Amino acid sequence: MDMNEIKEIFFQECEEQLAELESGLLKLNDGDRDPETVNAVFRAVHSIKGGAGAFGLDDLVSFAHVFETTLDCVRSNKLEPTQDVLKVMLKSADVLADLVTASRDGGGVDASRSRGLVKELEALAHGELPSSSGHDAPKPAAKAAPAAAPAAKAELLKPSDDSGFQPIPFSFDGFGEDDEPAVEGSLYEVTFKPRRELYSKGNEAALLLRDLSRLGEMSINCDTDALPTLDKMDPEASYFSWKISIRTTRSEDDIRAVFEFAEWDCDLEVKFAEEASSNEELPMVPVPFDLSILDDSSAGEDERTSERGASEETVAAALSAAETASNVSRAARVAEKKESAAASAAAQNNAAAAAAGAGQTIRVDLDRVDRLINLVGELVINQAMLSQSVVENDATGTSAVNMGLEELQQLTREIQDSVMAIRAQPVKPVFQRMSRIVREVADMVGKSIRLVTEGENTEVDKTVIDKIAEPLTHMIRNAVDHGIESPEKREAAGKDPEGTIKLTAKHRSGRILIELADDGAGINRERVRQKAIDNDIIAADANLSDDEIDNLIFMAGFSTADKISDISGRGVGMDVVKRSIQALGGRISISSRPGYGSTFTMSLPLTLAVLDGMVVTVAGQTLVVPLTAIVETLQPEASAIHSFGANQRLISIRNSFCPLVDVGRVLNYRATQANPVEGVALLVESEGGGQRALMVDAIQGQRQVVIKSLEANYTHVPGIAAATILGDGRVALILDVDAVVAASRGQSMKPEMSLAATG
Amino acid sequence: MAAKKAGPASLKLPAVLDLNEASNLHGKLVSMRGSDLRIDASGVERVGVQCAQVLLAGVKAWEEDKKSLLVEKASDAFQKTMQLIGINNQNLVAKEI
Repeated sequence: MDMNEIKEIFFQECEEQLAELESGLLKLNDGDRDPETVNAVFRAVHSIKGGAGAFGLDDLVSFAHVFETTLDCVRSNKLEPTQDVLKVMLKSADVLADLVTASRDGGGVDASRSRGLVKELEALAHGELPSSSGHDAPKPAAKAAPAAAPAAKAELLKPSDDSGFQPIPFSFDGFGEDDEPAVEGSLYEVTFKPRRELYSKGNEAALLLRDLSRLGEMSINCDTDALPTLDKMDPEASYFSWKISIRTTRSEDDIRAVFEFAEWDCDLEVKFAEEASSNEELPMVPVPFDLSILDDSSAGEDERTSERGASEETVAAALSAAETASNVSRAARVAEKKESAAASAAAQNNAAAAAAGAGQTIRVDLDRVDRLINLVGELVINQAMLSQSVVENDATGTSAVNMGLEELQQLTREIQDSVMAIRAQPVKPVFQRMSRIVREVADMVGKSIRLVTEGENTEVDKTVIDKIAEPLTHMIRNAVDHGIESPEKREAAGKDPEGTIKLTAKHRSGRILIELADDGAGINRERVRQKAIDNDIIAADANLSDDEIDNLIFMAGFSTADKISDISGRGVGMDVVKRSIQALGGRISISSRPGYGSTFTMSLPLTLAVLDGMVVTVAGQTLVVPLTAIVETLQPEASAIHSFGANQRLISIRNSFCPLVDVGRVLNYRATQANPVEGVALLVESEGGGQRALMVDAIQGQRQVVIKSLEANYTHVPGIAAATILGDGRVALILDVDAVVAASRGQSMKPEMSLAATG
Repeated sequence: MAAKKAGPASLKLPAVLDLNEASNLHGKLVSMRGSDLRIDASGVERVGVQCAQVLLAGVKAWEEDKKSLLVEKASDAFQKTMQLIGINNQNLVAKEI
């Protein structure tokens, strides 16, 4: 595995961590105060930082560090996660995501934005921690930490270098009582009790203690009481715990930072015991040479080094004269890498431990899954062909071959279901991306908007997920920019100044339904209508229903924004959205209530690969009707058919009337209306909720068909969702039930329009 | 120092006393119980806490058995680590000779 692959894995993990981070922050934003949520957020940033350090992504590390510091204040209850705080945090999460992307794909990020956020974050942390000052401070701090680590590691990695130990000479005799503190600082009591996991994850308590000892003057007391007898002990368990008092000029956070990669595997308590006796600001500036002089001068008390930077210098000093400084730095660099690699490994272990509860997963290249799915699709077709030819050649229908075929059919089905399940993914990642867009756009236009998501665990095929992101983004921007009114207007209208956009995903009749609802002003029908007339989309005297007017916004080149803004209204409007949704085999519709907001409903197929269908004959053509749409089938009787208007017919089913849709007529397969009595009626439920009876000539059977996209191979055909290959090798078209139903209703509309008018 | 009688057993500690070595070391100590033991820690370059735990348990076990267990020729690294982690057991923290 080369470095790039490892890096790729890191970036994949980053995405997961970022998602975790964002959902955690949103939970906090909603008032969740569960410490575990805060921890999860912290862990996410922390893991990113750890990994980024391993790859030398300095920008990412330094930003993550500042972010983490502030989060830590929240975690330790020093900072109340108010809405304002979370606003900064959410923005920081966005910048972090940008930095990750920039690190992966190259390119830069808005430096002023991240700098501004760094300042804001620090200001938040600052409120409680006066020791860190200026927005440049954390960078050196961040760098100092890894710099010290290599020094630490270097001596262990190169143990032959006995002198390597000298920078942290440590003597027990010196620690009896509070001997005169030559190094000034506050006194902290640290209780450190590692758990077994700490060791099993490759951490070493001794190293942590050594790093701790570098922070200042430390006296240690090892509690060995828990140690069982030799024969009873588990050599890999953890028995020792420590009570440490350390006098340091560093802050409590710096002490905690020593344990940062181990903190989930140990019980750690850091207590402030005594006030600092000198200016705390001073030691923040590394003054290594001064300190080494200090070390020299206080020869007897060289056991204390208060400065990490200094310890590095002293390592250099202590190394034999033959070794050049470059050697040291090289060793330090190597060690740094190892250290951070170990650190990120530890962080990953944490993540793995967390994930273990949620079931194990593997990462598989999407291409492989696609290939498998494709093959299974062919298998299904092949199996269908085989069974058809057996049926044709075996009149008796009782042979063992038939039995075997049935079993084969079941098996193929199961294989197919399982394979499809591999591709099914929750829509969560897409929804999460939307919350960022809402934040950013709302910020830009000065509105306050809340995104509420529902059903983000609804699963849908990966391709669908990938492809809805773009149209959804567009719609969200629209909703924020045009849909929701400005806070003043909202207040004037007696609404909550904070707008709400609700994004919902749910399964409905074998499709996924994504709804985007805003509580804004709704569609201004007068303006839409006027605009449509101005643009020659409709005739000036056209008589349109409200629904039809609403749906005008899906027409090409339609934009009602008064002026072109940065966010939306560039003329590439809802028509593009609609086209991309249609390309997915989906539909989009809008319903709007003036003053109460608009709801966009997108209905998409769950998978783009297979479908359970009823094979029917219409005017000599073979069509496939998605089984999920069919409620029941019936043979109409002449007495149940009633005429309605000029050319509409109704069928009476169990004392209720249902419009009869002549499929052959709608699709222009025949010029005249078919006689319902000679055919079969399929009672279908359209997405609008109502029932329709589709009239077909005959039912051939029920079959699972593999969807072959018409758009990809030919072009979109109104009323047809896709095509498939039947068992006999012929191509059959798959009916777009809702489109057909809609077309039967809104005949005044163009075919393009009628597709959308399902609401 | 170890008693001269009956020639005490000796155990040379490996250079790296890390997590992987803890079980080994434990096994060795358990098998060597019952006689005086000299531990040669001169070659030790790295000591993990878990090995320190084993060693300390060993010291206690030997004390129980009223046998002597002494670490001799402790390397710098060994001593420093023991100091660092706060083990000041007489038998483990070899005195400068």
